[in-house]
Amino acid sequence: MNAPQPALVAPRPERLRLVGQRRQTLAIMHQRLMFGMLVYAGLIALIALRILYLAAFGDHAGRKEELTALIPERGDILDRDGQPLARTIDAWTIAVHPNKVIGDKLALAQKLAQLMPEHSAAQYFALLRSDKPFVYLRRRASPELVEAVNALGEPGLALEREPDRLYPQTTLAAHVLGFTNIDGKGAAGAERAFNDELSNPATRGTPIVLSISSKVQQALEAELGDAMQHFSAIGAAGVVMDVHTGEVLAMTSMPTFNPNAPGQGTPDQLFNRATQGVFELGSTFKPFTLAMAMDSGVVSGPAEIMNCPKVLPAYGHLVHDTHPFGRQCSIAEVMMESSNIGMAQIADKLGTERQKAWLKKMGFLDKPEIELKEKGRPLTPGVRWGPFETMTIGFGEGIAVAPLQLAMGYATLFDGGIYHRPTILKIGPGHPLSPGRRVFTADTSYRMRSLLRLVVMKGTGKKADAPGYRVGGKTGTAQKIVDGHYSQHLNLTSFAGVFPMDDPRYVIVVMLDEPKATPETYGFTTAGWNVAPVVSRTISRIAPMLGIAPDMNREPNMSEVLPYVQDAKQDSKKD
Amino acid sequence: MSARSFGSLFMVASCAGAALGCYLVSLRVASERAALEDVETQIVSTQSDLRLLQTEIGTRGRLSQLERWNAGVFQLSAPAATQFVQNGFELARLEQPEQQPDLHAPVVLASAPAPAPRKPQFEQSSGDAGAPTAAPPAAMLHEASLKTETREVPAQAAVVVPQRPASKSANKPVTAAKPALPKSVDKPGLAAANQPARRKSAVQVAVAAKPARKKSVDKPALASAKPVTKHIEVAKVDPLAPLPAKHSGHSKDAPTGR
Repeated sequence: MNAPQPALVAPRPERLRLVGQRRQTLAIMHQRLMFGMLVYAGLIALIALRILYLAAFGDHAGRKEELTALIPERGDILDRDGQPLARTIDAWTIAVHPNKVIGDKLALAQKLAQLMPEHSAAQYFALLRSDKPFVYLRRRASPELVEAVNALGEPGLALEREPDRLYPQTTLAAHVLGFTNIDGKGAAGAERAFNDELSNPATRGTPIVLSISSKVQQALEAELGDAMQHFSAIGAAGVVMDVHTGEVLAMTSMPTFNPNAPGQGTPDQLFNRATQGVFELGSTFKPFTLAMAMDSGVVSGPAEIMNCPKVLPAYGHLVHDTHPFGRQCSIAEVMMESSNIGMAQIADKLGTERQKAWLKKMGFLDKPEIELKEKGRPLTPGVRWGPFETMTIGFGEGIAVAPLQLAMGYATLFDGGIYHRPTILKIGPGHPLSPGRRVFTADTSYRMRSLLRLVVMKGTGKKADAPGYRVGGKTGTAQKIVDGHYSQHLNLTSFAGVFPMDDPRYVIVVMLDEPKATPETYGFTTAGWNVAPVVSRTISRIAPMLGIAPDMNREPNMSEVLPYVQDAKQDSKKD
Repeated sequence: MSARSFGSLFMVASCAGAALGCYLVSLRVASERAALEDVETQIVSTQSDLRLLQTEIGTRGRLSQLERWNAGVFQLSAPAATQFVQNGFELARLEQPEQQPDLHAPVVLASAPAPAPRKPQFEQSSGDAGAPTAAPPAAMLHEASLKTETREVPAQAAVVVPQRPASKSANKPVTAAKPALPKSVDKPGLAAANQPARRKSAVQVAVAAKPARKKSVDKPALASAKPVTKHIEVAKVDPLAPLPAKHSGHSKDAPTGR
């Protein structure tokens, strides 16, 4: 039709143009149509492919991905044997929407007052009539109560489950564990120190394993609590530490609180005396002074003889002894009878600068390096640190440290002189042993064994002996400072013990704040009478649990000290 | 023609069929997976239940509660160092044979001739002991034998046992065997209480006794008589020290002899 015909007449140019235009528009239309179709087909294909993909590899509708593993709202805290110390459970809460209550509000208020007697019926009624949208009536309600409330049948009452932190052992190790606030964030103790690990969804699935052994902790708390009650002390603290690793096996501070209801705890109860409180711990410092002097070469050893007068005048002061020798005495005797005069002379020979350097090396001038955030800074004479202060620090007065630090010092001294930072985390694959740092020489560490065993065998710490467990240690009685003066009546008694002394493995530090005299202590309030028995009883209980077999035939090398002890006085009345 | 024109249709149908088959497979897989997930969910919820129960038990049996019972109610205290034993030997040392008052023992002692001086008395008593040890082999073997039901139990009772009955037993074996029977019941008990050495010999003899006992069951009279006479001879020759050795020698002889 469109074939060119012999042009009889020359075609009109307009017509020719028209034909060309029509073709062009048609072509464009075809192109557009094709394009649209392709887009449409592409979309459909895409959807079809997606559907096919989903059918083949996709998940079904009811998939509950988050439930395939049990991840608590907040990580668990376990003790070193795997016993739970802190857990998050789903607890029942009872709440009310006052504006949704449809029943008789007065009757409901009366029933609520019967079930939950912490408020009166009038208070409940006022609450129900208020225009608050939502009020908690009881958190962590018992299932029986929830059942009873549910039986009321009031739709305005809301019974819900919400995650709640539970400490199954209640007050056990409360200061180590700490507690969480109302928002579930750690507010003290390990809960605060490890808050990130405990709340991070990536890490909270694996529990935090503490170095605390709940059995040891319980034994320490029970014995210390008994003593505190018996001697009417206002406070107490105790630490059990592994000598070789710096792990804290038990740490307690009394009076204690219940972390399940931290709001009821008083500031005194919440205060951690073992790490936060710093105390002048008295004669328990003497072994450090002697070790420093032996390591510095100032003192040759237990055999050295020195002058021990009844009163020592020094730098415008007088140093006294509770039981003065008034004769020549050996270093072994100075330690055994806890002589201030002897130790002051040794510290004087050591000198201020060297003493400072040693104390720094032992970590006694800084806060302890433990993970807990509640730490106290040690108190030292500071700029007044002169020769006389050096003497008093030599026998443990004029410097205040936390009981944990004292334990740390003994652990250092008896781990062959190597310091490991104290930790409340169990040493294991996830938490390797921190590299140690040598403080004392191994020889000094070895020679201190028999000296401290001597104190318990024949000296002031006789009541701390646990037969068969080779306890060594040192008593300490410090006078408390009241209104800027040392009180003559108020004491702070402590005992730092190490067992078994022939191969030291554990350190125990026990402290009583203001113990009172009782008839069986014959009026004495010194450490040998009140804290030493606690140590004895505690060690008898915990040593078998810690795998230390009693052995009546083993002792450290006592021939190093016994020849230098003259006529051992059979009293333990002094500190 | 027709097949060719339907060819595309077949193709489409087979494609659709294959796709459907694939879909069914994947559907099956998905449903299996869903079931698996249900199980997993169940496991998790069970775990959380377990956790809850464990927590509850742990809370109810918390250490302070146990302490209250142990220290307060039961008055328990930590074991003393002496209450631990280091090894098996110490443990075994704790076990001592019980000193049971044997009602039969005083009877025997009272019958023993007292007046002689100490040493002789001891010797005699040991000789006395020796004689019974001579008898016990016979006694033991008879004791174990099953002839208990038989007739004359009475006359030649315990007192005469030492040497005579043995020689007599050659004559009247059955009666000799019988009285030995109740006696032997007494003697081992006594020996166990007072004289371990004697007990040893009794035991050794018991070994010897066994074969003889069998015999006594087999042929009551003659057979049982023979071993008895033999033993008694030995006892006559040497009542004291070498007794056990000789006995054992004899006891060995006796079986081999038969």
